[in-house]
Amino acid sequence: MRIKLTSIMVDDQEKALKFYTDVLGFRKKHEFPAGGYKWITVTSTEEGRDDLELSLEPNVNPAGKAFQEAMFAQGIPVAAFEVTNIADESKRLKEHGVVFTQPPTSMGPVTIAVFSDTCGNLIQIYQRNA
Amino acid sequence: MLLEREAFGRLCRARDLLREVREQRLPIPEVAREAGMSPFHFIRRFEALFGATPHQFRIQSRLEDAKLLLARGEHNVTEVCLEVGFESLGSFSDLFARRVGMTPSAYQRSARVLVQVPADFPPLKMFPGCLSLMAYLPAEAFRNFQEA
Repeated sequence: MRIKLTSIMVDDQEKALKFYTDVLGFRKKHEFPAGGYKWITVTSTEEGRDDLELSLEPNVNPAGKAFQEAMFAQGIPVAAFEVTNIADESKRLKEHGVVFTQPPTSMGPVTIAVFSDTCGNLIQIYQRNA
Repeated sequence: MLLEREAFGRLCRARDLLREVREQRLPIPEVAREAGMSPFHFIRRFEALFGATPHQFRIQSRLEDAKLLLARGEHNVTEVCLEVGFESLGSFSDLFARRVGMTPSAYQRSARVLVQVPADFPPLKMFPGCLSLMAYLPAEAFRNFQEA
């Protein structure tokens, strides 16, 4: 058994694909029509990191939406992505108009920052401290 | 842009307000005032946070409400239109058709096929868990870049 796929709910799949590729810098791996919705996955563009896929899940289930919005309102990120240089990454994202709820903050073994993906989620990025 | 906790909370509450208050007569500047911001800052921050302007967001959530009500099948299109806060059946139908890809009545008919018995939650078939969508994919969706 291996971890190859994970998913995140988004309120608009087109908007999410744009944000996750144009802004976050992931690459679209798959896009297929699926039962009235779409199956969309993205992967990292980093060398050797394209095997793990993130599925951008349509957020139509009212229970799912309720969960997503509660997490958001409480300021709780629902996914975390590792970055090599969080200062550079945060600066780049800010230039793209990304809203941060937490600036890069050192916390023990990691430095973390939190921002909105414009699709209903707060996302955490982190860099491992040397 | 960095949002302080307090401003973030006010924007979330503004979003709830836009969703819950169905009357057309809740102008955006008033929502901005509730959030303690100038309309300019409110709209800009709202859009940066939620990926849609307050106005766009309100329209979207009304259309989503409409879809749920139409699927339940308890109201006709005119009733749904009024219930979700549109004043004109014509503009509601046009907007719905443009965004959803079919007219409200066509949507209601297609949803009726799936809904057997009215319930609090529409049946699972209407809201598939994303991962179950895998069943609809072609084989190539599962090939790695190396295998391809």
